[in-house]
Amino acid sequence: MKKSEPLSNSRGESEGVIQNLALSTTIRVLKYSGIRLLSLVFTVIIGIYLTILIANMGGYVDTIRLAQIREDVNMRMASNPAFRSLTAEERTNLASAEIENQAHAIGLDKPFLVRSFNFLKNAITLNLGRAFHMVSNAGANEVRLIILERLPSTLVLFATADIVLFFSALFVALGLSRQYGSFFDKLSVALTPLSSAPGWFYGIFLILIFASILKVLPFGGMVSSPPPPTRIGYLFSLLEHMILPIAAYTVSSLFLSIFSWRTFFLIYSSEDYVDMAKAKGLMARDIQNKYILRPTLPTIITSFALLVIASWTGAPIFETVFNWPGLGRALYQAVGLFDTPVIIGETVIFSYMLMITVFLLDFVYALVDPRIKLGEV
Amino acid sequence: MDASPLLKVEDLVLYFRTTRGVVQAVDKVNLCLEDNHAIVIVGESGCGKSSLAKAILRLLPKNVQSYQGKVFLDQVDIMAMNDEEFRKNVRWQWLSMVPQAAMNSLNPVLTIGDQVTEPFILHTSASKAEALLQAKKMFDYVGIPESFLYRYTFELSGGMRQRSAIAMSLITMPKLIVLDEPTSALDVLTQANIFNMLKRLKQELAISFILITHDIATSSEIADSVAVMYAGQIVEINNATRFFIEPLHPYSRKLMDSVPRLHGDKEPDFIVGRPPSLVNLPTGCRFKDRCPDRFGKCSHEPPMTLAKDHLVKCWLYEV
Amino acid sequence: MNKSFRDILKYPSVIVGLLIIVALILVSIFTVIAIPYDEAIKLWRGNEADWYKNPKTAGPVWLNWFSREKLPETIIIDADEAGIEKTIKETQSGQIITMSIPIRFDFDVYAEDMTLYFQSNFEEKAPFIGLKWTFPDGEEIGIGNFSINRKFSYRLNQERKITNKLKGLVASQGLFTNLKEKENKPWKGDYTLTIEAITFDKTANVQAELIIYGQLSGWAGTDTLRRDLGIALLWGTPIALMFGLLAAVGTSLFQITIAGISTWFGGWVDTLLQRITEINLVLPFLPMLIMIGTFYSRSIFVILSAVILLSIFGQGVKTFRAAFLQIKEAPYIEAAKAYGASDISIIMRYMIPRVLPMLIPQFIVLIPSYVFLEASLAILGLGDPTLPTWGKVIQDAESNGALYQGWYYWVIEPSILLMLTGLAFSMVGYALDRVFNPRLREE
Repeated sequence: MKKSEPLSNSRGESEGVIQNLALSTTIRVLKYSGIRLLSLVFTVIIGIYLTILIANMGGYVDTIRLAQIREDVNMRMASNPAFRSLTAEERTNLASAEIENQAHAIGLDKPFLVRSFNFLKNAITLNLGRAFHMVSNAGANEVRLIILERLPSTLVLFATADIVLFFSALFVALGLSRQYGSFFDKLSVALTPLSSAPGWFYGIFLILIFASILKVLPFGGMVSSPPPPTRIGYLFSLLEHMILPIAAYTVSSLFLSIFSWRTFFLIYSSEDYVDMAKAKGLMARDIQNKYILRPTLPTIITSFALLVIASWTGAPIFETVFNWPGLGRALYQAVGLFDTPVIIGETVIFSYMLMITVFLLDFVYALVDPRIKLGEV
Repeated sequence: MDASPLLKVEDLVLYFRTTRGVVQAVDKVNLCLEDNHAIVIVGESGCGKSSLAKAILRLLPKNVQSYQGKVFLDQVDIMAMNDEEFRKNVRWQWLSMVPQAAMNSLNPVLTIGDQVTEPFILHTSASKAEALLQAKKMFDYVGIPESFLYRYTFELSGGMRQRSAIAMSLITMPKLIVLDEPTSALDVLTQANIFNMLKRLKQELAISFILITHDIATSSEIADSVAVMYAGQIVEINNATRFFIEPLHPYSRKLMDSVPRLHGDKEPDFIVGRPPSLVNLPTGCRFKDRCPDRFGKCSHEPPMTLAKDHLVKCWLYEV
Repeated sequence: MNKSFRDILKYPSVIVGLLIIVALILVSIFTVIAIPYDEAIKLWRGNEADWYKNPKTAGPVWLNWFSREKLPETIIIDADEAGIEKTIKETQSGQIITMSIPIRFDFDVYAEDMTLYFQSNFEEKAPFIGLKWTFPDGEEIGIGNFSINRKFSYRLNQERKITNKLKGLVASQGLFTNLKEKENKPWKGDYTLTIEAITFDKTANVQAELIIYGQLSGWAGTDTLRRDLGIALLWGTPIALMFGLLAAVGTSLFQITIAGISTWFGGWVDTLLQRITEINLVLPFLPMLIMIGTFYSRSIFVILSAVILLSIFGQGVKTFRAAFLQIKEAPYIEAAKAYGASDISIIMRYMIPRVLPMLIPQFIVLIPSYVFLEASLAILGLGDPTLPTWGKVIQDAESNGALYQGWYYWVIEPSILLMLTGLAFSMVGYALDRVFNPRLREE
């Protein structure tokens, strides 16, 4: 990016200053985002540490690590020909001694707080050893692989659902704010209490109607089984399977969003600068976009952020109801199998998901609101 | 009044519908304004002066009950135009506005430059660069550095914001600018500066102003004519010098008496009572309950009479 | 304040919502009194002895109002009832007790199952039973000869001999079919089951109870374990209300306190509490609850405490804090400080009353989210194992594949209750919000 140089004609000067403006906006957004990122990372680490603490109060984390050591030692002993000549009892004694050694080496016999810090580093990198029961699609049982394998499915579903929700709510809310008091306006207000039920709740009914009774949409899963061979076929199957989950997600969150955002629009349309825009002779569409929508966006994004964060809470059941092979369903399965390493790993990855969500939305917020200053949330 | 004034307002009416009843904010107002003249409309809070501005500028809220009358700008009745015609031809081309000096009058998420150039681009199809040049010229007139074009509203002080607003109102070189309490929210020094600038602009650019204010003292500097508004009606209009020397209407006299003077010992007077609510207006002369010179005939509404070259709405001056 | 109440009642949704809430509260009170907790638990977690009279996965009886085909309800006839013929003939060693049980069958669909339960208090030799079935046209067939114990169940549908006699149809179907016709459909009419019990001591008696398991049972139906779902639905009501209310109240009170402390003391206290709120934002709420529920305890009190603890630094703190900040700078607070009012009196008389109207609608809208949270945990398998809650019913339904099997009532009934609760509180809460929150008020 080049700084503007004083040019001989004022037109160039204007352009130079315009470039300067773009530069300063970029710097502002990057600076803000950078600091937010650091602060969020710090926050997530504390969050993960809390997770470890809670998990380890019952010694579950220690159990995982001990199990890992045991498995390692036993595997090494089995594969090393030097040990084959020993008797079973000798081998067992040797193994126990080695296990104890290792446990001591990584500090499993140190006080509680120290142990938890030791594990924190591992947890942050999802280095959580091996699952007790669960297996990844490829057959590996490392927790990290199991979890990361399911990450894309969850992202696909939730990202699409959030995008659909955001734009439909925005579009409808904007339209409704123009027709205050009309039938549709009153209808949307009346439908707001529908948002008291979470997405999975509507999911059950949608499946009941469309899959069980009408038989037009699949019961669940991400793609049909066996998956279609062609790329296009796969894409269509994916879209077909996403219809019901996204519909459930949207029904749950749509009406409240429409109501809140339309109220925001109404409040912001009575601002003085909107009158000024009218007085200047701007066209209705410009007034709506530049003088009502743009100033309201920061508030809307904050409201949307809270909604998305809340939706992560329902993810386990949501995915289970739709049999979607993502992080949420994995957590459900882990609970059923009492697979401790996976449960802890899932909690960690959910923290990361939340962090990324908050960061993304903060970033967009900074883009949209020039008033944002460092240190202000 | 001269044969072809710049602005002629005839029987302008603006009533609002509210939960408490119908607010008769502008009740058959008649005004004239010459070219390159400034008329100051004074009155207390709630007398309807802001509504008069809105009526002339056609900035109507959703609950309008009645909006009638004629407004001739350069002999064209702009009230007769439909909204789209008005928007394309009148807004900011003939008529522009300077709002109250509140933070809220400028869009917080657009740069000053964006907002100032908007009407110019819209009405002249200029490019952004050309518009910025024009904006820079305006900024020179009002005395702000060019760099402020790239700042946001919250980065400017109150005085700077008002200057930007004035620059914005000038950018399309309209015939008439309506200023609604342009300096009420500012400190006295900034007020004085801005009024000096307005005087200069009037001289240099030959613009006409309608200045709405409750601050008679400051506005006396720039006024060519003065109109006094009370309870939705104009009760006196005159040329400024004659008005300030000898106001005729009892209300105008009381208003002038309430202004503290720099010289002399006279203490400022006050008016008893409160202005009537614009919903439940009394019959007859609306000032009669507070008028020291009230007499029998005041229970009927007085006509606008020409007395000593003033236009006064008072029975005291009946010919 | 009065005007506010009148404003609230202007919304029809509020009236509906309040009615539903009152209904729920009345149901809760009724349930707790009419079916005391211990009895409910016994009925819910009991055993065969309590459930045996119910059919498996039967729908609710009111389904018959909607279907053209009438499904059978369970018919239970105890042979000792009045009106049942019981003749006793003395014999050498004992008695012959003959019981004639009349059965009227006028349904359009077959029953699920048929079982005869016997009880006898003989001394040495077990009585011998002979069963005869009489069809509406008078034709008779023998359907069993066997000896019984002190407690004996004769499951007619599982007796091959009977099935063979009935063209391959099981008892609950074949015994109610006109076997001479081609079609296999229920034959409406009066039937008789004659039980001839031969006892071998004079004092022995035989009690028989015929249960024809219908397709419908109770006002809510039954599950795969033959439990009457009504118990769970009724008892789920006070539990759901309690959980939702306590969680919402606890969370809101703590949040408002934290916000108050944060604004009042300012400085590092404020910063610290704000940081904690941020950390709470990225703490994954449900996974942490799942960890606690899986690793430690699923008792509803533990979960409730965990929920409150994880929620108190949530979003509400920010909203309350913003409100407190506004109030703190208000001139009347300065005035109060100027005339020497104490901190406590300022907080109590000025700040809290100003914020209270904002608290109430928020807290009411919060209740359904906690009710659904409890249901969510139950569905995940982390519900309190001892308590019958709506979520538990749904979880049982899901794990038994209710939706695939067509046992829709099992899922729909608790869902409707959840939905009603959610809607009721939301409707009232949103209306209150519109009245109390000045920014949202529409002129």
